Amino acid sequence: MWGFYFNELIRSLPFFIKGLWMTVAVSGLSLIMGTIIGFIWGILRASRNKILRSLIGAWVDLIRGTPFLVQVFIVFFILPGIGIELEAFPAAVIALTNLAACFICEIVAGGILAVSSGQREAATASGLSAYQQLRHIILPQAMRTILPPLVGQYVLLVKDSSVVSAIGVVDVTRVGWLTVQRIPEGIMVFGLVGILYFIVCYPLINLSNILERRMTVGATRL
Amino acid sequence: MISFKNVNKWFGDLHVLNNIDLEVEKGEVVVVCGPSGSGKSTLIRCINRLEPIQEGELIVDGMKVHDKKTNMTQIRAEIGFVFQSFNLYPHMTALDNITIAPIKVRNIKKAEAEKLGKQILARVGLGDKSKAYPTQLSGGQQQRVAIARGLCMRPKMMLFDEPTSALDPEMIGEVLDVMVDLAKEGMTMIVVTHEMGFAREVAKRVVFMDEGQIIEVAPPKEFFTNPKSERSKIFLNAIL
Repeated sequence: MWGFYFNELIRSLPFFIKGLWMTVAVSGLSLIMGTIIGFIWGILRASRNKILRSLIGAWVDLIRGTPFLVQVFIVFFILPGIGIELEAFPAAVIALTNLAACFICEIVAGGILAVSSGQREAATASGLSAYQQLRHIILPQAMRTILPPLVGQYVLLVKDSSVVSAIGVVDVTRVGWLTVQRIPEGIMVFGLVGILYFIVCYPLINLSNILERRMTVGATRL
Repeated sequence: MISFKNVNKWFGDLHVLNNIDLEVEKGEVVVVCGPSGSGKSTLIRCINRLEPIQEGELIVDGMKVHDKKTNMTQIRAEIGFVFQSFNLYPHMTALDNITIAPIKVRNIKKAEAEKLGKQILARVGLGDKSKAYPTQLSGGQQQRVAIARGLCMRPKMMLFDEPTSALDPEMIGEVLDVMVDLAKEGMTMIVVTHEMGFAREVAKRVVFMDEGQIIEVAPPKEFFTNPKSERSKIFLNAIL
């Protein structure tokens, strides 16, 4: 039996590859946009503007304190109720982008606040503007603290993207669900799903480890 | 060039600057001393508004520092500031550390700024260290780079906040030598320090502070040999 289903599974491979492509597309798009938004939020969250700081903080806490599945449902099923109709794919990207932005915001804010206040004082004293300080003095140093957990977060987000299969995005998890109805060998089918996620995540895990080592050992330059 | 009139500042309930009146002329070297917590660091940090004042007038090079509307960038460019803990940028070479502000704030061309930067590094005795990163330098060398960073802006005055307090004893001399040279060239300087040898050699006046107040202002010779106030005597006994 195993052999028969195995051959079936091999024949379904193109379907899995398509699903994997969808997973990469959803998470890739969300990670890019989430990184951009997350950096902006993180910079504002570490700024002196109290209102923005607490607004962003409240939003981040809300998102971190609710299940991602619920967030995906809200975007897909509840937003249409107030007139925002979305296909499954954009809904998935919006929800995952927001989740990514929230986690990245905290990493970025933490990295910025970890730069010693003397650095900002020295830059202020020499007349650099707030933007110049951020661009030339604060961010380059904060990146040391930010990069390793940032890439680690990417791994988590690629895996979290499997949740969007619940609203009908045909990602690699959804392909697993569909295939297991034809090939009733759960271990084999979801084993393949797991391997495909691992293929995407493993290089990122390695990159995170390398960055971690580089940032802690070489304290002199990036 | 620097004028404090009735300046007051509080940190919460702590009256950290209490009715400060002080005038510093162009080319003058003033040493500020006093026990820790007396407000001497706060005094010079107010001059470039690293700390805002709450009451009174503070005029620096004709600009109203006490006025919140005053654009500080222009004033800060004219004031070199040297910190106790150096605060060099660790991700930049010595040369980049001292040329970033001239390039970004004064809009000097990079090649020109680097030429100037190398001259100034040579002047503080670090001509061969332009490509070194701060962590590759000793404390005394780092503080000299920090002084060079101030000088590279061609400032009208230099402020020093306990520049030798974080240094090992054998490195204090090399930093003081640079400062003495600067003073002799006519730089306007306010130096918060307990290095009384430096005060004797180059200061025109010594300002003694305690509990946020200026207790005594006198030429160094007079201050050291014949202090007027009781508190100055106690302080001098403790450090000399």
